[in-house]
Amino acid sequence: MKRQITNLIAAGTLALSGAVAAQAQDQGVLDTIIERDSLLCTGHNGSYLGFAEVDAQGAWQGFDIEFCKALATAILGSPDKVQIIPVSWAQRFPAIQSGDIDVIIKVTGWTMTRDTELGLQYSRPYFIGPFYVMSKTELGATGIADLEGGVFCVNAGTTIERVLTDYMETKGIAYEPLAFEKGEELRAAFYAGRCDAIAGFGPFLSATRINAENPDDYEILGDVLALEPEGIVVRQGEDDFLDVINWMVSALLMAEEAGVTQANVDEMKANPPSASVERLLGVTPGVGERLGLSDDWAYNVIKTVGNYGEIYDRTVGDGSRYKLPRGLNNLWNNGGLLYPLVMD
Amino acid sequence: MAHALPPPARQTGPLVWLRRHFFATWYDAVFTLVFAVLIFWVLDNVIGWAFVDAIWRVENREMCTHDAGACWAVIESRGRLILFGLYPYEEQWRSTIACLVVIVTIILSCLPVFWSLRRLPVLWIGGFAAFVLLMRGGFAGLEVVTSEQWGGLSLTIFIFAAVFVIGMPLAVLFALARRSSMPVIAKSFGLIIDIVRSLPLLTLLFAAAVVVPLLVPEAIQGNKLMRVVVAFAIFFAAYQAEILRAGLQSTPQGQEEAAIALGMPYWSVVADVLLPQAFRNTLPSTINQAVITFKETSIVTIIGFFEVMASGNAAIGNGEWGNQYIEVYVFLALIYFVFVFGLSRYGAWLETRMRLGHG
Repeated sequence: MKRQITNLIAAGTLALSGAVAAQAQDQGVLDTIIERDSLLCTGHNGSYLGFAEVDAQGAWQGFDIEFCKALATAILGSPDKVQIIPVSWAQRFPAIQSGDIDVIIKVTGWTMTRDTELGLQYSRPYFIGPFYVMSKTELGATGIADLEGGVFCVNAGTTIERVLTDYMETKGIAYEPLAFEKGEELRAAFYAGRCDAIAGFGPFLSATRINAENPDDYEILGDVLALEPEGIVVRQGEDDFLDVINWMVSALLMAEEAGVTQANVDEMKANPPSASVERLLGVTPGVGERLGLSDDWAYNVIKTVGNYGEIYDRTVGDGSRYKLPRGLNNLWNNGGLLYPLVMD
Repeated sequence: MAHALPPPARQTGPLVWLRRHFFATWYDAVFTLVFAVLIFWVLDNVIGWAFVDAIWRVENREMCTHDAGACWAVIESRGRLILFGLYPYEEQWRSTIACLVVIVTIILSCLPVFWSLRRLPVLWIGGFAAFVLLMRGGFAGLEVVTSEQWGGLSLTIFIFAAVFVIGMPLAVLFALARRSSMPVIAKSFGLIIDIVRSLPLLTLLFAAAVVVPLLVPEAIQGNKLMRVVVAFAIFFAAYQAEILRAGLQSTPQGQEEAAIALGMPYWSVVADVLLPQAFRNTLPSTINQAVITFKETSIVTIIGFFEVMASGNAAIGNGEWGNQYIEVYVFLALIYFVFVFGLSRYGAWLETRMRLGHG
């Protein structure tokens, strides 16, 4: 999903910025955020389907934006204290090094190079980015293997091109790739019937499907081409800040697991069903202090954005236009890969 | 006595004109017919798509199917996003006025009345100050809007105007320095120009936006928009300097020598003898450079500025309007067309005027 060209440029400037990244930080980012009373979070230079979009009033919305709001609420008590800074894919890493942004929440895959060489630190994955294949219903395919010999359309120069090649080579499926530079071209070609299938990031495929004249003509196949675990990124050495982020993600998942929702959070707080919910919602005194936050930080977050499931549903899931299935982003007890940590 | 022949019968009228211009020979006739059919077919399709079958209002959103014509409803719904980017919704009137101020400033400075060293700087400083004050706010109860939130058409025009206004004097400086009789100055400016020209604009802007803050102390960094405009202006100046140098070299050597022989000081020789001729001789290339610069402003989207092209992309980047990209691109093309076409016509007018003034 990242263009190679812009990555090249980023790599060039990063070689430079990596060298000076060691620039002394007098105080941690967390203190800076509290002092500034606002959190600088990533937007996009345009709209990125489902994750960071701009509505007709120029306001940001989407899955990643909700996490920005949740983080601002956890630290500063209000979702209005987040400032969304538009950055391009290539710009995000230099921008965090230079302090233009405090945190990257921008479908950013956790890779070894980024984690080690770029001087960054990742939170636990908050989203498992799946690459799928969508094909025409009339072909009656139930898996990718059924599309042997077909024309597969992809976005040129993005991760997906490599992912598809790897998958098909490993499984020994012959196919004919057809690459398009822009997403719009790709869609138009698919609607016009030039491709038997298109491969891509889940939300993009969902949007392509719902925008078709007849969405039922197309079907996203269950086979997952590859996964990209997406993490929240901070500068190396911001341990306190990373703790807050990890526990915020965990709190959202824990709330879903325990059935705490935006609607019933007050009731739950007044009448906690278990000791862990007591700790989650700050009924037990002193739980927020350990993170340097107020005791009711998680309560505020849930009250503002809801639990993980609610965020997902509203922005990319069934409650949105994209209707992206929860799939691997479900909780462990619903067949997914996500789980809360233990809050003791 | 010679007999004067009567004048040939006057052949006029549309039919004669048509025959002479379009059907003079058999292959003329073939070309005419083929192209007439082609033009008719294209126009019919374009008009059908853009007007006849078009859907104009958001209320009729469901009618925007793949068989229908243009879905201009997207412009009604997302137009303000395209024009203003992320500028706060309630404050967008400020962006409108600021945009008009810069356009008026540009138009005024195109008029020969303002072409003096006293009037032009006043006009530009006034115009820019008004723009920045309005956009930024923070006085008289206006909410502060940081430059990160500026966007859309007013940002595009601001970047273009600022690059041009900072870049042009720089270009003159570069061109004169490169022609300097002192080898150190001439060589070093030659090197600067060549280095800047050998770098892609994208790299230069990227460095200005994200690398400079890492290397330079915060006190002299300025804000991101300012850094980017300066980097862009230097890039513009490197190209424009070479255009001007060509103009300077095309002025006969004797004129400069004569002016010096008359005892005119250096600056007067430059300002009164060389530059006016250099500008006139290179006008077509200068307009060319201005047009290229206007269109290249869209490159700033890569460093996260929401100029009109990025806002256009934001407008179609959601599930609801994702299919209406052609309409949005056509709309953007029209915006660019209005400005670039205006610029070209102005260049043509200027050329005629200068030729007249020159006898």
